[in-house]
This record gives sequence, C-alpha cells and structure tokens, in this order.
Amino acid sequence: MLRRALPLLALSASVALIATACSPAGQEAAEPATGGTLVYATGDAEPTCLDPHVGGNYPQALISSQYLEPLVGRTADGEITPWLAEDWEVSEDGLTWDLTLREDVTFTDGTPFDAEAVKVNIEHLQDPETASSTGYLAVSKVAEVEVVDETHARFHLSEPDSALLESLSMPWTAIQSPAGIERGMEENCAAPIGTGPFIVEEWVPQQQITLVRNDDYASPGPQGEHEGPAYLDEIVWRFIPDAATRQAALASGEVHVIDNPQPDAIVSAEQGDEIEHIDAPRPGSVNRIELNAGQTPFDDARVREAFIRAADPNPGIESLYLGTVTRSYSPLGSTEPMGVSDESLFGTDPDAANALLDEAGWTERDADGTRMKDGQRLTVRFPVSTNQSVAAEQSLFEQIQANTAAVGFDVQLSPVDLSTWYGALGANEYEAVSAPYTRVGPEVLRVLYHSDGIVPAPSGYFANHAQLSDPELDALLDQASATHDEAARAELYAQAQQRILESFTILPLYDQQNHFLTRGVTGVTTLGTVATPTFVDARLVG
Amino acid sequence: MAADAARILRRLGPGGVVAALGLAAILLAVVAPGVLAPGDPLAIAPTEAFSPPSWAHPFGTDESGRDLFTRVVHGAAASAGIGLAATGIGIGAGLVLGFAGALGPRWLDAAIARVVEVLFALPTLVMALLLVAVIGPGTQASVIAIGAATAPGYARILRARVRGVVRSDYVAYARHEGVGPVAVFARHIAPNTLWPLVATATLGVGQAIVWVSALSFLGLGALPPSPEWGAMLNAGRVYIGTAWWMTVLPGLAIVATATVLTVLGRRASGAGSAGS
Amino acid sequence: MPDSSADPLPARLARGLPAWLRWLLGRIGSALLVIWVVATAVFFALRASGDPLEAILGGPGSQAGPEAVAQARAEYGLDHPLVVQYLAQLWRVATFQLGDSYARRQPVAELIGAQLPGTLLLAVLALLLAWALAVAGSTIAATAGAGSGWRGRAGRAAVGVLRGLELVATVMPQFWLGAVLILVFASSLQILPATSSGAGPAGLVLPVVTLAIPIAGFLAQVSRDALLEADASPFAVTARSRGASEPRVLLHHTLRHASLPALSLSGWAFGHLLSGAVVVEALFARPGLGRLLLDAAMSRDVPLVIGAVVVVALLYVVVVTVVDAVELVVDPRLRTPRAPHAMRTPELAVGS
Repeated sequence: MLRRALPLLALSASVALIATACSPAGQEAAEPATGGTLVYATGDAEPTCLDPHVGGNYPQALISSQYLEPLVGRTADGEITPWLAEDWEVSEDGLTWDLTLREDVTFTDGTPFDAEAVKVNIEHLQDPETASSTGYLAVSKVAEVEVVDETHARFHLSEPDSALLESLSMPWTAIQSPAGIERGMEENCAAPIGTGPFIVEEWVPQQQITLVRNDDYASPGPQGEHEGPAYLDEIVWRFIPDAATRQAALASGEVHVIDNPQPDAIVSAEQGDEIEHIDAPRPGSVNRIELNAGQTPFDDARVREAFIRAADPNPGIESLYLGTVTRSYSPLGSTEPMGVSDESLFGTDPDAANALLDEAGWTERDADGTRMKDGQRLTVRFPVSTNQSVAAEQSLFEQIQANTAAVGFDVQLSPVDLSTWYGALGANEYEAVSAPYTRVGPEVLRVLYHSDGIVPAPSGYFANHAQLSDPELDALLDQASATHDEAARAELYAQAQQRILESFTILPLYDQQNHFLTRGVTGVTTLGTVATPTFVDARLVG
Repeated sequence: MAADAARILRRLGPGGVVAALGLAAILLAVVAPGVLAPGDPLAIAPTEAFSPPSWAHPFGTDESGRDLFTRVVHGAAASAGIGLAATGIGIGAGLVLGFAGALGPRWLDAAIARVVEVLFALPTLVMALLLVAVIGPGTQASVIAIGAATAPGYARILRARVRGVVRSDYVAYARHEGVGPVAVFARHIAPNTLWPLVATATLGVGQAIVWVSALSFLGLGALPPSPEWGAMLNAGRVYIGTAWWMTVLPGLAIVATATVLTVLGRRASGAGSAGS
Repeated sequence: MPDSSADPLPARLARGLPAWLRWLLGRIGSALLVIWVVATAVFFALRASGDPLEAILGGPGSQAGPEAVAQARAEYGLDHPLVVQYLAQLWRVATFQLGDSYARRQPVAELIGAQLPGTLLLAVLALLLAWALAVAGSTIAATAGAGSGWRGRAGRAAVGVLRGLELVATVMPQFWLGAVLILVFASSLQILPATSSGAGPAGLVLPVVTLAIPIAGFLAQVSRDALLEADASPFAVTARSRGASEPRVLLHHTLRHASLPALSLSGWAFGHLLSGAVVVEALFARPGLGRLLLDAAMSRDVPLVIGAVVVVALLYVVVVTVVDAVELVVDPRLRTPRAPHAMRTPELAVGS
C-alpha cells in the first residue's frame, strides 16, 4: 500500500514546497503587531515601594514612568515642554509660580486631575511620614501650593528657585491620584494610581510586576508619537539581577528589553542585527568617585590629590568598556548643556602622588607597603553597591585599588547590598564612594556639593558624600539658583564646577551609563528627563 | 622499606597515585605558589585583558589583564586555607560533641544525639545563610558558617567510632588490667579514633572548599581582589559568553582539588579497596 | 526479672501505646525540638551580634522612622528582661506568628507560602531524576562488567568511566555546572531557556538537571554497593541456579534491595536539594524559597530568615518521617525493634 501512496505523497510534498516558495516574500520584515505582552527584565534592585515619592531611586523611576506622569517634560536638549501642566509663569521676584493645568485629564481611578491634586501631591512629598529623599529635596523651596481654581495652581516659594520646572519634570515628583494617596502607604506602595499609559495590576514580589494598558490614556508627553492609548496590551516587569542570565534571557527570546547590559553585549548587539541598542545617558551628575573630605585621611587636600594622581582609570576604562564609554572630566553629565570640563587637573603622575603623600606626613610604611602616619594606616574604605555597579565598574575599582596601592594606599573594597551600603554611608564609615545621582539640570551641583547636602533628609539619606563644605562654592550655587537669566546662570555654574574640580574631592569617570538592549520590539524610546524607557509607542515585531 | 612502599602503592591503585601526585601539586601551590607561578596575582595589565589561553598565558587573562594561571595557583592558598579552617572548626566541634557523647554520662549522650539530629535538619547552605544573616557576610563568616554546618557530620562519625573503640576487647582488657581512664584514653581510644579521622578530614576539606566557593558565588564570601576560586568564578561568569576560560578553568581547579581529596580520603579510609 | 513498677511514669505510659503511635509521637517530638533549637539559636545569636533592633528593622540602612523603631521595640518587648523576651519569642514561633518582613513589609508566612511550591516542584523532580540516574547507572555498572572477551573488557572500562563520573558528580560545584549548562544550552545552542518560572517543562530541564547530578552521584555509589551485595546474596545465587535469567533475577530480587539505601538517603538528599535550590534559583532567576532565603540573608531581614529556616527544618522532618514509613512498608525486616537501622546519610558526606 505504501508503494501506491508514494507518488501521491511526493506530489503533495512538491505542491506544498511550491506553495510556500510562492507566498509573498515581503514578510521578511515582519509587521509590528498591535497588542501582545512585552517582557522587560531589569538588573536593578526590586523597589520596596512602587510609589516614587517614597525614597526615590532609579529602579522606582524605571517602572513608575509607565504609570505616572510629571507636570512638565523635557526634551533631550534640555528644553522644558508642557505635559500635565500646559503653561507657566513666574513672578518678578521669583517667589510665585503660576501653573496652568491640562483639562479633561483623569486618573485611572476616576478622580479628576486638578489643582487640588497637585497640592496634595506636593504635600505628600514634603510630609516626613512619606520618607521621601529625592522628591523632598526637589521641592524643598516650595512653601505652599495655592488652589486658584480647578486648572490653575500657584506655587509659593520660600526662596527663588530657577530649577523648579526641572524638579517638576522628574519621575520622583510625578502626580498621583489624591484618592490613591489617601488609601495609605501600604496600599499605595503596592499599586500607585496615575495618569500614565499603563496601570499597575499585580505585584508578585521577587518575581514580576504586571502592568496593563490604560485604555483611556489621553495625556502624551513630549516623547509620544501618537495620540491615544498604547499599542501593547500588557507589560511584564521581571527582576533578573544576574547579568549573564539576563543576557541569556534576551538572546533566547524570553524577554524583549533589558537594561544594564555588559559592554561586550553592547558591542555584539551593535555588530549584529537581531538586537538593538539604545544609548541614553542619565542626566545630572557623572559617575565619579567621591572622597570623603570630612575625615582622615582625605580631609587633607594633598592626600586627595595624590589619590587622583595615582588612580589612572583610563586604561581600565578602555579595556573593560570596549569603547562604549568615554572618560569624563566634568562634574556634570555630557547631556547637560552647562557642563564644564577640565582634563588638565586629572593627569596621572605616580611620582607626584608619592611626593604629595610624603609632604602630607604619610612617610612610614608597614609590612604590606601601605603608608602610615602616627601609627595609623592609609586606609580607604570603599563600599560598593552591587545593585548600582555593573561588573565592569567593579573591576575598574579593583584596578584603581591596584594602582593606588603602588603609592601606598590601602583601598578596601566591600561589595554590599543596597541596604548595607546606605547604612555605611549614613554612619560615615567610608573614605571613598561612588554614588550615582540622577537629577535633571545643573541644579544637581547644589544637591551634591552645597554644604547643606551634608544634612540628611527625613529618610536619613544625604547626598553630599564628598562632605564638601566650601562657603564660596555655596555662595555661587545659591546665587545660581536664584537667577533666571540663562547666561548668568551658566557663568555661575561654570565657576562652581571649576571650584569643585579643583578641590580634588571627586574623580570623574564617565557619564552615568544607561543602555537598553531590545529584541523583537520597535518604538521603544527614552524620556528626556531621566532617560527612563517609555513603551507608549512600542509594538512587538515578529 | 621497599615492601612498605609497594604495599602503599598497591593500596592506592593507579587512581590513587594520580590523586597523590595531584595533592602534592596542590600542596606546593598552597605553601610555595611562587614555584609554580612566579608572577604577581594582583598585577593588572588592562591592555592584555580578555586574552584567551596561549603560551604566554596558559589559562588566559581576566578582565583586568591579570594572568589567570597565576591567580588560580595563588588562589589555592585562599581556597584551600578557607576550606581547611572551616574543616578545622567542624572537626573541633565534632570532637567535643563526639567524645563528650561517647565517653560521658548517658543523659549527655542522649542530649547530644538529639542536638546533632536537629542540626542535621538544617542543610549546610541554609545554616550558612542563617549565620550570615546574623553575623554579616565576609570570609570570616563563611568559615564559621561552613564549620558549624559540617560539625554535626563529624560529631556523628566520631561518636560512632569512639563507642566502637570503647566497647572493643583491648580497651576492656586494659580496664580489666587496672589501667587508669586517662591512660586508656591516651593509649587506646585517641589513636584509634583520631588516625581514621585524617581520612574523613581529607574528604571534608574537599567538600568544604566546594561549599565555601558556593558562598563566594552568592556574593557572601571572599572580597576582591582576593584570588579565591569561588570569587573568581563568580566574577568570570559575567563574561562567560566571550571569555569562557575565566569561568571554566577556576571551576576545574575546584573540581580537581575536591576530586583528589575525595579519592585519597576514600583510599585512606579503606572504602576504596572494595572495588569502588 | 526487673520490677517494672519501679520505672518512671512516662516510660510505663509509653510502653502501653501501640508501636506506630509511639513512633509518630517521637517524630512530632523531633519536629518540636527542631523548632525550639532554631528559635533559641537565632534569639541568642541576634542578641550577641549587636543591636537586635537594627537587625530586626532590616539592616543598618533601613532608614526606619522613629515610629517604626517604637513599634518594633514594643512588639519585641525589647525593654523587658531577657527571659520574658525569650519566652515571648518562643510563643510567637510556636503559634506561627512569624511576623512581617521588614524589607518587604509583608507577612512572612505569606511570602514563604507563595514561594514554597516552586521550590518543592524543583526538589521533587530533581529527586526523581537522581533516583532514576542512580538506579540506571548502578544497574549498568553491575551488569556490564560481567562476561569475558572484548565485551567484558569494554564493559569494565565503561564501568570505570561511570565510577569516575559518579565521583566527579559528587564534588562538582552546582553553580559551575549550572553556568556551563546555561552557556551550552541557552546561549550557544539556544534550545533551552536560561530563566524560567512556574512549571513550563522546557524551563525546568536545566535547573532540575543541575540540582539532580550531585545527588545522583552519591545515590549511584550507594546503590551500586547494595546491588553488588544483593547480587552475591544467597537468594540471587539460588534463583540463578534454578535457571532464572539475569534480567529476571535483577527485577525480581536484587533491584528492590539495591534501592533501599537510596530510599533511606532521601532525607539527606532532600536537605542537599534545598541547599542546592538556593544556588540554582539564583542562577536561573527562578522565584522560590531558596532565593527568598538568599535575599533575606543579604538584606539581614531576620524575621524572614527565621521563618524560612523553620520551614526548611520542618520539611526535612516531614520527609524523613515519610521515608521511614515507606521503609517500614518496603522492608519488613525493619519492623522489629532491634532491626539494623539503615544509613540516613551517605557515609562520606559531612554536610548536606
């Protein structure tokens, strides 16, 4: 029977082959489909609270950008654009800001978006019970928000603040539903309610957060390419802290987008066509090593300079980052138009380093070759947060450790989790630290280097880890904050940056790296504010 | 002399001889790493990063250009040292519990047996994590944690051995002869229980090394730039796609060391002689 | 004849109960003892290592406000004398009031309950796989070596290779094995996923294999010894002399005896699997009890660590109890009170 069936089989096989060969070959570039579920795998720490008002770190911003929106937006060039607020006006003395709000916007729980909501949100940020760090600092000069009418809110400031709009463009000051806030912190941490293109549906701790599309979405920001709701049905936000596993998940198609990729993955993505690379450096500060000028040994400027002369990070940066990163010599990121850079201050010179240390009195040596003075070793405690440093950066720190050991520093690296890291900082148990700080605009200099920054926020966190206390610098920064003339502002910030660099309290390394790798999805862009990804225009491919 | 040597060789078997040579190499790496690998394990050379294995670098280089062969050899001291320390703690605690149980009053024996049984209910790594949660991470913590976690095993083995010896004929004879308890202990009980312990300890060090490197892999053990094998494995895994030698070779070192120690431990305890 | 009326009351009562009830009560006693020891150990270790409040609140960087501190102080009664605190802790653990995880602000019992099924799934599958591998390996080893000529020699060589593999399996670090498997099957060949969650078969293969191999190594050695012993025993010899074929002898007689040691080692194996789960879940980004415990240990989240450890210990006791019961069913020889007690842990493994 088989023999009779054989010709028939052969015939049908050939027909099938010809049919597939003749089908429209234009399907090579598969059409992006509407709907579907996008899977995002982040290497950052899992937030303990999905409400970015509480605390305020980058992992929170990554996800809250999907369901919360700020009052204003910012383009990649630094220009402030309308978002939930349509228009604004500042008074002559700089103490009163009038914001005109967008009409017909409601939160996903039905509460209308109006000036009352804005007032509630600012008060939430300033309430000590909220334990806000970043948002609190951002609105620290706002004394009161007055409800003029439904679509007009008036901000009364205690001091002029030229950076108010930049502060209001950040995800950590985004606007939530007042009814949502009223439910109490536990419920609001689990599922904040906003105006964004997606809604938090479920949070399974350690596993994933599920976001569903907001079908009534009507408030696109500057990045939005189309009006109306997002294309995707759902986003699944997964936590994969291990870089190798995360990369493997992307390669095998289990996830569509990952962050914090390794440099070699970025290079091979650029060279191949399956995986796309998005490079979106975070604004604000650069990645730098801060030296604690508040205690021995770095309270002596010569010792600081010696450390910087000996560190020699450039060869390491080249070999570890495979060309995906450029060395920076500025306190501000390269996306900041007012950034000032001075390479001459950071030349490598081990002989000069040795001379400086001898001059500073660290002339004895112990058995390991570490310098000593009055019986004390030249120890530099350097806690490293494993959540915030990719492996390449940790290796770079190891190289700096080896380089500075050659002139007599004993750098003690301790890779720790985020909580322990915060603890070490809070207790002043560090001589060097690398603390990324994302903040829109040059105002970040005031947060990081003004002596006020040594005072902790209600949450216990303080931002001036270099513990720089320079009255002249303080004066420059205060003045810049009060000036609205852009040119004058730029000049003041330029002088401030020069003073910061010359104090040798920081060793600038490179921009805050922010890379995303995508596979099987198009339309992924990043917001101009803090470079978090937005999926409002994203569509799955293939 | 020759007859003794021949007997030892026959008992070891071909596998055992290879293992003994391996152990000699490892011991050399521990006490005099400079003989096998004269370079500096901490010397960075960023321009030579990620080089695959070659004549100049038999194991390749890591992400900072450090020669991996040198680091593996020098890491023997760190890894083996930690394994030895953990085993030492485990055996020490096991000795106390085992001897107290076997030689002491009945109620003590029963109590210790119960405690040991309870400690068995906590798997090694779980107990280690519990200790780390309380003490905090680090090399010291991992030594204590693994030592404490393996102590019940040693206690059980020792207790059984000591009881066996205590009930044996020659001890009974010595007691009958009127020899005092301390002398009985020193002349009969101790030698007959402690020598076999060497075999168990050899095995134990091998297993301790694997456990300690597991803790380093989880980020709870040795700190950079220590060339401890588990830490190197952890660091190298990130680059596993492009620089496989950074992960595979230190892992092989762990496997080889543990295998060598296990084979020798088995041979020494006699379990190996029955064809296994 | 000793006068039984001079015995203490509990002993007399105990003798009056049926054997199975005595055994069950013994097991429950073990479980309670475990919980008591763990709770005591953690209580004192916590007090000894520094400010317990800091650890309770989730580590030095917990940024807890004054209200949280006051609440913790009241809840844990840290102002009361030590004895009162200790008893209160015991009471809390005994009534399963495991408290809230301070890092996650959720009840510990809920967190553990959510993660337990995933880990159990992995552990059970890995144990089954390990058994299968061990029995298969020891059967091959026992039968292949027989015969003469090149078949016999090849068989013996194969047996030698198997023995080497067993040995290497027992000492291989699981994280290394897992990383190599991911490299080969996920990154290079791309036929299996590198991460997984839930019960999808494709995602379970690599984690289960990684977990099973070290256990399979130990079980194989033990099974092989038992198989050889059973093979040489009188009933097997008798069966052969009566003309029974090798496979028949194997199936009907020796295999059952060979699997006994593997069965009694299951308690130890389960413990080893839970240790392995910590590593495997971290490596494959799977949610589960192991990963929960690891995160809790790293963030010094003591309520969660205590809860997870108590659950693990209880699981172990349950597994050992079940294994004992199954043993009694399978091997009637063990039912007499003076029966030789089967090995509970492999002779040469000092930890699990």
